[in-house]
Amino acid sequence: MKNILLILSTSRTSQDAIEYAVGLAKKEKAKLVVLYIIETELTNEVFDKFTDIGFIGDKPSTELTEAIMREYRQRGYEEMGKVQIRAMEENVDFDAVTTQGDFVEKAVETIERYKIDTAVAIKRKRSAFWKYFSKSMVDELIEQAPCKVEVFEE
Amino acid sequence: MRIEIDRRPIWLIIILRSFRPIFFLTIGLIFFYLINLPTPDGLTIQGQRAIALFTVCLILWVTGMLPLAITSLLAIVTVPLLGILDKKETYALFGNEAVFFILGAFILSGAVMHSGLSGRIALAIMNRFGGTPKGLLASIFLLASALSFFMSEHAVAAMLFPIVLDIAKGLNLRPGRSNYAKSLFLALAWGCIIGGVATFLGGARVPLAVGMLKEATGITIDFLEYTVIVFPTVVMLLVIGYLGLTRFFPPDIEDMHLAKTVFERKMKEMGKIGYLEYAVGAVMAATILFWLFFGRSLGIANIAIVSVVGLFILKLVRWKDIEEYVNWGIILMYGGAITLGAAMEKSGAAAWMANAAIGNGISSPLVVIAIFSLLTILLTEGMSNAAVIAILLPVGIGMASRFNMEPRLITYAIAVPAGLAFCFPMSTPANAIAVSSGYITTKDMAKAGIVMMILAWLVFNLTARFYWPIIGIRL
Repeated sequence: MKNILLILSTSRTSQDAIEYAVGLAKKEKAKLVVLYIIETELTNEVFDKFTDIGFIGDKPSTELTEAIMREYRQRGYEEMGKVQIRAMEENVDFDAVTTQGDFVEKAVETIERYKIDTAVAIKRKRSAFWKYFSKSMVDELIEQAPCKVEVFEE
Repeated sequence: MRIEIDRRPIWLIIILRSFRPIFFLTIGLIFFYLINLPTPDGLTIQGQRAIALFTVCLILWVTGMLPLAITSLLAIVTVPLLGILDKKETYALFGNEAVFFILGAFILSGAVMHSGLSGRIALAIMNRFGGTPKGLLASIFLLASALSFFMSEHAVAAMLFPIVLDIAKGLNLRPGRSNYAKSLFLALAWGCIIGGVATFLGGARVPLAVGMLKEATGITIDFLEYTVIVFPTVVMLLVIGYLGLTRFFPPDIEDMHLAKTVFERKMKEMGKIGYLEYAVGAVMAATILFWLFFGRSLGIANIAIVSVVGLFILKLVRWKDIEEYVNWGIILMYGGAITLGAAMEKSGAAAWMANAAIGNGISSPLVVIAIFSLLTILLTEGMSNAAVIAILLPVGIGMASRFNMEPRLITYAIAVPAGLAFCFPMSTPANAIAVSSGYITTKDMAKAGIVMMILAWLVFNLTARFYWPIIGIRL
């Protein structure tokens, strides 16, 4: 049985990508694995900022970071719930994974663990300026992934 | 065990791995080069050393290669080691009144947060005025601002963030899509930023600037005087900010009953107001009144510390609670900045630098205020606002003495705009937490923030031109 991976994250979700991944899994009679990555970069940045230049101590900074992480997890469950409903409607076999950390590293790990055949990733639109100076995480994923990666631009 | 092979070119790996040692080696070389240059005319050897140290601290504060507090500690130990000031004088500067005021204000702010009083006030106001989209937006904006008059703006942002997040969720606003959600989180950040410059309590940067001014010139600014001078700027920025929020992000929601449910649930969770909240509120109110009316005679630091002792006598807080609510590291930063500023002034380096940088080309105080406020507002977007003060104020004070200007004017021109960082998440923690919600993007913040930054600069300079003379400040 083939495995299709849909990669969602805190800053990368797309209804079109969800529809496409479910449709592809149905067409290929594949199992759909949904990976939701909680990106910790932003929360770490907030915590560091409060620790380095903020006027408040550890407790409120930690509570704040936890509130943000709770919100991200909640959003992850909601997104995966949406995919699960679509998968059930289309009779597609479904598995869900939630993790937190670096986008590329976690995506590659999951691709290897589930022996994924095709991964569907969402790319954020970026200005020409940023494209010139830095590579997007999805481009990095395409380079490192041992499978085909289909990209949706949001 | 998973082994990862780094497939990047070897030259890139070497450059990246050796960046930090090369950076600090370069800093060391710059320092020794500046120290060993022939001393320019009009500058003492101590002044030359102070400039070398100032350059190193400036690079470290701007790049953030070391934590701010550690850079400040470096400044404190290097000043006596280089013979710029003697040991006794240097370490005495750390015990400046401003440092103890900041310490007392942080502890009081921690006690208010710990008691839950600030959260209760916030919920009550939002519940009362949050019946319409614009009403709720105005409540959050004005509340964040008003609370930042009395406690640290960062504490206000941290305290209000979960409430605003619950409102956004309760109203089913879509992260990154909803205009109304964007305006709510921006209202939180901008409210804290604008309110934070209104008094000495919003952030430690104003006491820091006042402390540096006092050490350098012996002149001081009291709590009431500062507030009277800055308040019109704050009021105008609040009006402009609210108009900006509703124009940039017109509300895309009408039904607010779900928000009401959030307030009622949260207020129920809080229970009834108790002795602790009343008592902490009373101590805080009495402290503010003393700061306003007896600040000059009793000393703002003395009032702050007596209030802190009062909190413990009344058993309103435990030391453990306070320890967790205060960022002790940042206090080191302020002590170091005051020491470096005094070293620059007392060695004559500040006046020499001001002269070398601007010469005799400028004579109008308004132009000086415009230049310094512009430099400050631009720099504060990219670095810590306290670091901006630590960098610009010694030069500004030197400039004032060079041109026979009232040094308090320069202090206002730097201390106020230093708090007005509207554009980026890295500018200030309030912006960082607004973006971390995911409801507003960095791009949205930057677009609206740049307009707000320009308007804030104009408002500050117009106030200096037209309002300051009315209240007797000679330009």
